[in-house]
Amino acid sequence: MTANFTPVSVRELLTETVLACAGVVAGREGLGREVRDLSWYTGELPTTANGHLVVCAAEAVTPSYRLEALVRRAESAGVAALLITAEAQSPLLSTLRLADRLAIPVLSIVGADLVDLLHRLTIRVRAPEVQRARLIEDVVRRLSTKTTAEDILAALSLALSQAVWLLSSDGSTIHGESLSLPSTLRLDLTVPQHSDPSPSGQILVHPVTEPGSTQAAAWLASQTAGSGEHQRIATASALAVAEPYVRAWLTSQRAAAERDSVFHGRLLADLIAGQGVASQDVVERALSAGWRLQDWHVGIHLIRTARLGDPLQDDPVTSMRKLRSALEAQKLVGPVVDRGDGWTVWISSATEPPSSDGRRVLRSVRLVLAQLPAHWEVVAGVGRVHHGPGGLASTLLEARDAATLARTHDYRPAAEHIDELGVARLLAAWQDSEILRAFAETALAPLKGVDGGQLLRTLQVYLEAGGSVSTTGIVLGLHRNTVTARLHRLRERLGVDLDDPNQRLALQLACRTIETEHG
Amino acid sequence: MERYLGVDDVSALASGAGLLGSGGGGDVAVGARLLRHALQDGGRARLVAAEDLPPETVVVHVGLAGAPDVVAERPPGGEDFANAVTALAGALRQRVGAIGVIEIGGLNALIPLVAAQVLGLPVVDGDLMGRAFPRISQTTLAAAGHPATPMAVVGPAADSVIIESASVDAADRIMRANVAALGGAAAVALYPCRADTLAALGLPGSVSGCIALGQALADSAGRSVSDLAARLGGELLCEGRVDEIRPRRGDIPGSLTVTDRSAGHILRLDMLDEYLNVAVDGVSRASAPDVLAVLDPVTFAPVPPDRLRSGQSIALLRLPLMPGWPHGAEELIGLAAFGIDSGRPEATR
Repeated sequence: MTANFTPVSVRELLTETVLACAGVVAGREGLGREVRDLSWYTGELPTTANGHLVVCAAEAVTPSYRLEALVRRAESAGVAALLITAEAQSPLLSTLRLADRLAIPVLSIVGADLVDLLHRLTIRVRAPEVQRARLIEDVVRRLSTKTTAEDILAALSLALSQAVWLLSSDGSTIHGESLSLPSTLRLDLTVPQHSDPSPSGQILVHPVTEPGSTQAAAWLASQTAGSGEHQRIATASALAVAEPYVRAWLTSQRAAAERDSVFHGRLLADLIAGQGVASQDVVERALSAGWRLQDWHVGIHLIRTARLGDPLQDDPVTSMRKLRSALEAQKLVGPVVDRGDGWTVWISSATEPPSSDGRRVLRSVRLVLAQLPAHWEVVAGVGRVHHGPGGLASTLLEARDAATLARTHDYRPAAEHIDELGVARLLAAWQDSEILRAFAETALAPLKGVDGGQLLRTLQVYLEAGGSVSTTGIVLGLHRNTVTARLHRLRERLGVDLDDPNQRLALQLACRTIETEHG
Repeated sequence: MERYLGVDDVSALASGAGLLGSGGGGDVAVGARLLRHALQDGGRARLVAAEDLPPETVVVHVGLAGAPDVVAERPPGGEDFANAVTALAGALRQRVGAIGVIEIGGLNALIPLVAAQVLGLPVVDGDLMGRAFPRISQTTLAAAGHPATPMAVVGPAADSVIIESASVDAADRIMRANVAALGGAAAVALYPCRADTLAALGLPGSVSGCIALGQALADSAGRSVSDLAARLGGELLCEGRVDEIRPRRGDIPGSLTVTDRSAGHILRLDMLDEYLNVAVDGVSRASAPDVLAVLDPVTFAPVPPDRLRSGQSIALLRLPLMPGWPHGAEELIGLAAFGIDSGRPEATR
């Protein structure tokens, strides 16, 4: 494929039989110029003559000075070569010298029908174009029966003999091996783009847009094997042809997801409304959704508290995918139901989990929240372990209550367990007390205005994260060593032992009081 | 203002006219010989400005029309021109008060002085072309709508033709046909007009200007060509060697390829009977109506197109046209008037 895409040079064209009687009278140094098309010159050089072999009518280059003027214009127009007939007045010496100097090959042909010659050479010169048309035809034929992204990408990759990727709107890979995009590509602009040519090839991206949207829902990407312009054009055309197929797949995915979310949402509402009594109908529907109602459940309630979402990154399908991958990373595998303002998740197991499982889940949920995009400002609540359909309803309600409490915190992300609710209410009452406020002022005074409040924030997050250095690091976007270093400074400044539960409790109360004041 | 020209002024006038011929206009040497003959024994030609003549004075323009080869073979006599003026005066039924110069380039810059000397009339210091042009329609009078007729064409055997009335282009064709019939060269008297008309429409002072140019040329002997160009108020376009001569074919212009010695530019010079256009590296650098003078770089003698030889060293100068042409005369005297298409971008640029 690659070889056929290369445009023919003037030198190669001269080996065609139709040019057997043609000679180079000047401009030999330009014989390597690429011929992309032909044009017929009758006195007006077309503005698109770049890369053209210009066949000159005899009367258009007579008297001879006209040819010289044409050589000059040919050079500025980027013409590949000029072809004249030997029957016309022979070129002036000055013309030959000018053509030599400008490296514009002037070919002279004896006894040829120029119209016939133009016709035949055009077929030869346009071979790459024909080749491209064949490739597009091939792509269309291969894609015609493909409905899934995997199939579409595989077919496209096969037709192009090069790797093809499907990327999400922010450039992360959906299908294909991981690909790092060069920074010159601007995914915020919904237009086809390509990276700068390099010996290893060019990366091309083509936006996949949904009807009515100006933002790209996803990107098709491919990497050419070489840096040839024709290869790039061919790849760009193939990506453009494949785009509607990917769009159709994406739309059907979205429709399915929306249908599922409506179905699941209604089913969940029915389950909770049943108050422990699941009707036959609900049980059947839960079965078809793959929910194991008879198991032990731990409910997780997630709320997205950010008011304004980024439309580029917040479409439901992408959000759901991000959440699922974050949950899977923490081995929290279970049904996820999209509720619009957030998600309901529960983990089911056939055997009763140990009572400490709620704690383990809370820790995992904190890590999940740290992995989700910070601008979502997600809060989460975790319920207790309950059994059966009624238990599912209970744990989900508990999780919702816990999430509602977590929402009242000033920091994000925040997660609460239902077991802590009573304590939390107690603490909430304390936070308003004068004594505690006075204590907070004194205890945290050494941190006021230090590093723009960084130390105070680190302390807050550390205490809320249950004293986990790694979770604190993830939440604050810091390396754990940095967190450790900051904790060291905190100890020095406050003169407290953070490992002493009493001290910790006092400090945490102080921190929350400060939060309330600032809120 | 008036001045008298003696035999000593002839060579300056002739070399100035040679430059202003732009390669055409005939062999000034023939005119110089005729004028020297007319001015021998201390004769002096009176040169007056048109505005210094009484306004109603009838001025008749005199020249030689025909092939340079015929003229060289059988030089005309001063009487031929006197006959032409007399014949035109007869047709006008008016007394001629002064002789006018039709073109200041080439042979015809000198002929009117010969005629004036025979007739004992003054010569107007001025002309109608500012250089040499091949057609009688290329004059400031014609540009202003003044007719060239009545005109008289007189052959060497005193055969005379009077063209009573014709458009300026028709007059040119009729004149050429008659010149051919009269043996290939003939004296013409044309563009009769009043002195005040000439004062308004002619190019004043060009005879004096031509002499000054010839003087400057003589004074520059032994100096460099660029020095000469500066003295003439012109521009040295190139100094180099003629590498190819492509002669004209009928109305299709011929071309020279010249290698510029210093700059290494590729230079083309297009020509018919005169030098018309200079293209440097394929782009027009200077063209008609500017005067393009090809000179021998050592003797500074003008080289007309038919004397060029391959391998010859030449210097190419651009001299400005004598001032006084009205705006919008490009069509009459520019490249297009010589059949070189102005469709070339290099010409319209």
